[in-house]
Amino acid sequence: MPTRRTLLAAAAVAGLACSPALAQQARTPITMWIGVTGPAQEEIMRYAQEFNASQTQFEAKVEFRGQYPEQRAAAFAAFRAGNPPHIMQMFDAGTGDMFALPRATIPVSEVMQRAGVQFDPASYIGPARGYYSRPDGTMNSLPFNVSTAVMFINNDIFTKAGLDPSKPPRTWPEVIAAANQIRERNAAECGFTTTWLAWTMLEQYSAIHDLPLSTEANGRGGLNAVLNFNDAPRARMIQTLVDASRNKAFQYGGRSNDANALFVAGTCAMLIQSSGGHAAIARDLKAKFSVAPMPFWPDVLAEPKNSIVGGASLWVFNAPNRSAEELRGVAQFLAFLARPETYVRFAKATGFLPATNAAFQAMQAEGFFQQNAGRDVPILQLTRGTPTANSSGYRFGRWTEIRDMYHEEVERALQGQQTAQAALDNTVRRGNDALRQFERSVGAAN
Amino acid sequence: MERKVVFPQKLLPYLLLAPQIAITLVFFFWPAGQAIWMSTLLQDPLGFSVQFVGLENFQAVLQDPAYLATMQRTFLFSFGVTALSMIPALLLAVMADRVVRGATAYKTILVVPYAIAPAVAGALWLFLFQPSIGTIAYPLRLIGIDWNPRIDGTDAMIVVLIASAWKQIGYNFLFFLAGLQSIPKSLIEAAAIDGAREIRRFWTIVFPLLSPTTFFLLVVNLTYAFFDTFGVIHAVTQGGPGKSTEVLIYKAWYDGLIAQDLGRSSAQAVILMFIVIGLTVIQFRYIERKVHY
Repeated sequence: MPTRRTLLAAAAVAGLACSPALAQQARTPITMWIGVTGPAQEEIMRYAQEFNASQTQFEAKVEFRGQYPEQRAAAFAAFRAGNPPHIMQMFDAGTGDMFALPRATIPVSEVMQRAGVQFDPASYIGPARGYYSRPDGTMNSLPFNVSTAVMFINNDIFTKAGLDPSKPPRTWPEVIAAANQIRERNAAECGFTTTWLAWTMLEQYSAIHDLPLSTEANGRGGLNAVLNFNDAPRARMIQTLVDASRNKAFQYGGRSNDANALFVAGTCAMLIQSSGGHAAIARDLKAKFSVAPMPFWPDVLAEPKNSIVGGASLWVFNAPNRSAEELRGVAQFLAFLARPETYVRFAKATGFLPATNAAFQAMQAEGFFQQNAGRDVPILQLTRGTPTANSSGYRFGRWTEIRDMYHEEVERALQGQQTAQAALDNTVRRGNDALRQFERSVGAAN
Repeated sequence: MERKVVFPQKLLPYLLLAPQIAITLVFFFWPAGQAIWMSTLLQDPLGFSVQFVGLENFQAVLQDPAYLATMQRTFLFSFGVTALSMIPALLLAVMADRVVRGATAYKTILVVPYAIAPAVAGALWLFLFQPSIGTIAYPLRLIGIDWNPRIDGTDAMIVVLIASAWKQIGYNFLFFLAGLQSIPKSLIEAAAIDGAREIRRFWTIVFPLLSPTTFFLLVVNLTYAFFDTFGVIHAVTQGGPGKSTEVLIYKAWYDGLIAQDLGRSSAQAVILMFIVIGLTVIQFRYIERKVHY
């Protein structure tokens, strides 16, 4: 019957027309939870869209789940409930927790290998590779937003105070002298400030001056590491901040990223901040600025060592409900993010560092660092000299909390309630309690 | 003599109660039971290893001087918030009770803060008190007060106290106003005819007759100060500087979510639960006796 045949044909045509939509349906979703905001978040969202447009099998869904600690809590709760995101962005301080619980994740090296995607940990810049890899070279998580701490300088305030912004202060005595001059000439309300106090004044400071944070090679040697950073050089750093806050040569700007506001508002002339904050400063600050390495104390160490990486890396959760297909999609998406061109774009757009040597060289080759003065400062600082056990990062459980202990105790020192040495002694005592508690809790887990 | 309502059927009252009991079981007893169970465990952040440790978490928490200091601070804070939100609310209610024209407009405006989320309320006050640009902080600095809640614990406490109390004033105001309007006018008029002045009338007639409302608000506000001020503190100070604005609920949240120490966090939740149960019992046992219904 012709009518029936026509109907069938029509149905077939309709079916064909539907098939792209069906293919769309059949895409395997790959979820990734992130904890960054601002330009970095916008970039990552864009890469996911591009990945989705580049192929038809997988659909990457990137979701912002609150700042790093909140995002981590959400991901851990989801893991306990049996359905974590495929990929989680975990900040530097949480790395030790993840290393201590290897059953929760699949190393990125292994994810790539299983999916047959080529991946070479050796292509990553040394400090990032060291921070996120096991001693045998297996890379546990994919370094993505790699940063380190540098000092930003407001050129206009410097000129107003009679200082030369092209010769930024290199050492702490020079920073203090410049800050005092800025205050005396009333060029700004405050000399310098810092974001992420524990990260800059304890972690980066210790690496640069080749000082240990603990026994057991900064925790890389085992969970039984004992914190021991309550010594004179570290106390002097706090005391310097306490003294400098009297005439506002230093102004405390809060625990996390809050102090950034003091710099972009022109309140403070100098800011120690993650290099990843570069794009936001360029967007918000109404003055010219330059970038200088982290200051150091020449009498503690004449030739400062490399600083350490901060930022975050991407971890792949291991869950019983994960299919081989999903893991293949995870590998494809991570490989897409790890292409040199993605790293280059991300670095240019945010101020985070190119995570691989190839990406760094590509940026050098196109003359990016000549055109953008100061953008090479963090990477040169990160890769200078030969790293020691003290400048190869650290690996502690509950470090997020121990950072806040440092913040609390230093705040009490800044309030004049205790000495700098007492602040460090208290941090070390409380921190070691947390480390022992963590050691006990994971002891039976592995 | 108390009047008793007697149902002829035995089943009906239970059926009528069932939905409420189900809700209470699911949303209160079950989580509370879980908290009690988890407070006896030591587990890693992801739950691979779960060890039963008995009362060790309680012991550790209660022996921590920082925890005891936080407990003391929480009591001061909670009574402070309660006083700061109830006294102005009563004052406003007494004033509003006498307004004749535009009364609804006044009442609406006064109730608005209650509709604002705690975090937003916190952010508002944070801006007002922001050391360099805040609308309130700026004049403070002009008159020579070195205002900086970022580093001064007392300043920080003042901000969270005001923000927490301010939010609750509208709620208290509504109840006080309703309470005031239910006081028979004839009583007040009789006192006025007897020559009692306004202040005397308030203390001898209005205030005692308001006592059921005041008592109810006392219970509600203390519970609010213990639990619901988390949003304000989280938005404004994160418990700092130092630990100067850390209260029990904030610490329990921090230890559980940020430090991922579920055992000790649960132990704190259980302690907090007993504190509030205790407070409520005391209130009903001793303060309610002084209440005239």
